[in-house]
Amino acid sequence: MQHKFTYIFLLILILSSSFVVVKNSEVALSFTLETTQTAFEAGTTIVLKVATTKEIKPLLYCSNSYGSTLLTPIYENKILSYTFPSNISSKIGVIKWELIHEESSISGEFNIHPKQVVSSMETYIGPPSIEAGGMDYSMLVVIPTDSLDNPLAENTLVKTKYQFLNLEKQDDIYTKNFIAYKNIYSQNKSGRILVSSEALHTNSKEFSITVFPAIPIDFKILASRSHAYADGNQVTTFSTSVLTDVQNNIISDGTFVSFFITNDKGSILNTSGTTINGVATSKMIHPDYGTQWTVKAYVEGIAESNTITLNYSQVVKDFKVEFSETNRGISVGPLQSFMNQMIPDGLEVKLFVYKNNRVLETMTKTSFNGFVDFYLKPDVFKNDTYSIVLKTAGLKKTFNSKILW
Amino acid sequence: MVGLNKNIVRSLLLGSYLLVIVIIISGISAVFVYLNTGADRSKMLHTELKKIEQYIPKVDWTPLNNEGRSMDEVTLNTLENDYLDAWYVSLVAYKTNTKDVIKDYFTDNARENRFDFIDLNIKNRITIESTTLEHHPTLNFYSEDGHLAILTDTDVLEYKRVFKDEKLIFETTEKSTYKIILLLEDGFWRIRHMVKVSTENYQKENAKVASSNLNIRGINYYPKDTPWDMFGGAFSKNTISNDFKIIRDSGLTTVRIFVQYDDFGKANVITEKLDKLKQTLDAAEENDLKVVVTLFDFYGDYSVLNWTLNMQHAKTIVSELKDHEAIIAWDIKNEPNLDFDSRGELNVIAWLNALIDLVKSIDSAHAVTIGWSDIQSAAILKDKVDFISFHYYEDLDNLAASIKSLKAKAPNKPLVMGEFGMSSYSGLWNPFGNSNNDQADYYEKAQKIISENDIQFMSWTLYDFVNIPNEVVGGLPWRKNAQKYYGFIDDNGTKKAAFKFISGQ
Repeated sequence: MQHKFTYIFLLILILSSSFVVVKNSEVALSFTLETTQTAFEAGTTIVLKVATTKEIKPLLYCSNSYGSTLLTPIYENKILSYTFPSNISSKIGVIKWELIHEESSISGEFNIHPKQVVSSMETYIGPPSIEAGGMDYSMLVVIPTDSLDNPLAENTLVKTKYQFLNLEKQDDIYTKNFIAYKNIYSQNKSGRILVSSEALHTNSKEFSITVFPAIPIDFKILASRSHAYADGNQVTTFSTSVLTDVQNNIISDGTFVSFFITNDKGSILNTSGTTINGVATSKMIHPDYGTQWTVKAYVEGIAESNTITLNYSQVVKDFKVEFSETNRGISVGPLQSFMNQMIPDGLEVKLFVYKNNRVLETMTKTSFNGFVDFYLKPDVFKNDTYSIVLKTAGLKKTFNSKILW
Repeated sequence: MVGLNKNIVRSLLLGSYLLVIVIIISGISAVFVYLNTGADRSKMLHTELKKIEQYIPKVDWTPLNNEGRSMDEVTLNTLENDYLDAWYVSLVAYKTNTKDVIKDYFTDNARENRFDFIDLNIKNRITIESTTLEHHPTLNFYSEDGHLAILTDTDVLEYKRVFKDEKLIFETTEKSTYKIILLLEDGFWRIRHMVKVSTENYQKENAKVASSNLNIRGINYYPKDTPWDMFGGAFSKNTISNDFKIIRDSGLTTVRIFVQYDDFGKANVITEKLDKLKQTLDAAEENDLKVVVTLFDFYGDYSVLNWTLNMQHAKTIVSELKDHEAIIAWDIKNEPNLDFDSRGELNVIAWLNALIDLVKSIDSAHAVTIGWSDIQSAAILKDKVDFISFHYYEDLDNLAASIKSLKAKAPNKPLVMGEFGMSSYSGLWNPFGNSNNDQADYYEKAQKIISENDIQFMSWTLYDFVNIPNEVVGGLPWRKNAQKYYGFIDDNGTKKAAFKFISGQ
């Protein structure tokens, strides 16, 4: 009898327990979100926990600024744990996630905010060189980033510091759209502005902006020469006053200055030089006949000089011409300079041979020891009557009806 | 004899010696020439990169009002190009899980973020097919030296399909806003920082178009001599106008015509073709006919990366013609369900869904439908279309029952039988085919079912055709010949017996 009750009891127990099992398997599948935190600092490990009633492992879709992926959960004690990979949890912005299961409509967003610790001050300065005068400026752009290469939160204070000559200045700017920027204007002086910035006690390295002098203003020129004779041999040197910009900064070396020389006949000679310490010099050989030079210099399109006038006096007063060898040999000279010295070698003498007012031949030679010799070859000039003209140092001599035989 | 042999051996030896020398010298010279070919000067710059349209999402810039330096049109264009290219290479990279081109469009630091994702997805065998359909960028900042720009790209419409082990797991359309810092490096605008500021799921609610009073009683139309090549060199508005007059006089109200994707120049719609299409619509208007324009015919690639190109195609045509009086409805795609097997049903449906949204966003006045090739598929996307259209070439005895079941699935949608008809071909390839009288009987019966079930219709087709391109039904003569004799009017211009039943009146 005792056993009978025991058996019945056991039977009931088995039956009821099997009933419980049946009941268990009929539990409806449902998911409940356990994680309540939605804002995280970049770099923290994010584990999304979802309570489930059954042991299944649905995938989780997640997507952040840089891409999308699927996460597989770990199931433990009716809790699904989705660990977000570090490349997702370390980038700021919105993470959108959604549990992929027909029975589930669990989805949500996490906001990842940057660590407020600056790891690097990404700095961009441009343009690297500007003009003095307070009008031109360069722009400093700073992107403070945390150690995970995230830009810092909006309105982070960035202190910009700059030094120029005696001036040292600090300005506070705030990040907006991830960056902080500041226009740095030039002063009146040329030189170099040193710039750095600081955010949350992290300092950037030093950057520099070169301030070049502005464009030159009008200037003066002067000429120096060893004498005022038109000997075609000495050199006249032109030089400018110190070229400066409007703030009196000496303009940059290498500025190109052109000198234009206009003579009596209206011909223009041109010479040029580049500045060193604001002064440009240039040279021009003396004319070989008496004339007046009017000289003006330009930094083309930008500035010009005053006009100076130089007079050159004639040195060769007259010259002799001798014919020999049946008039075919023509000797010009002596050509004498201002102290009656023989003119230095190289004075140009031109010979023209005319026949019936037509030029047959032009010969050009330069003087040597004060003389120039021409020879009219019989092969070229048949025995006949010709007119012969000689020109040198602005002088002209004509010999009509010379008979060559 | 011996002497001769000796000479032969000698000449052979000499010849082979010469041959070996020639081969060696030419080999060495080839190596020498190869080593002397250096980099091509013309390739030093990026000038040889030809721009091929492969990704044309809608881009709407908000009017420029940025901080910093004022932006010019040329730079903004370059910036936009590089920015969109950055998106495109990323989309390709996530689809193929390769890193090749990323580095051209992301700075050293930023590209690591992409690479990490690609590595993660490779490890988990995940691929993502995606595209972006709309961008609304605002330029926030442009630095004084022109080397740094900040954009806010608002409401970027992203369509994504996520695969794991090549199985589609998840599909989503998201609308997100990004803030982006770009740097000008090596002549490229490269992304330095990219932060998603907000994101939400996107579901477009299209305005419904009243479709209860459409009264489509029509016919599918191709000209007699140029079937499937309506807008080619032989285009003649006169011919079309005459045909439209015949159609109108027969009591019909509507024609259905086809725009072929390649023929119209794909994304860059050829103006000349568009003009011919417009002339066709003019002809219809003159003859008091309405036109259903099928936007995609002979198109079978639904890949997500090409969506923007397809949309450009549809956008150009729809925005150009939406105000034309003759338009009654847009048929998005002719018989898309035929591509279910080869391209995947989900691909095709997602594509149709996106295209409907696009067409409706441009033209909210006209009805939109899809030309399903059978009545079984017709309920797909029933809530997106304004009326349901299906083609029916099966046994007429089952039509009434099929219509009934379709009406049960989609109770409030007008139904249009967009194509139906019978070939009157009997001949060498099908001796037991149908005669002209069989065709007439068919139409009589069909019209009876149509009026009994209160549906609308467009029959196939006005003319018997002489030449049918192979692309239509393939090259098999029995198919081709059958396809030639679907007309109400034969190739001599004589009305067949069926013409009596063309409009059911």
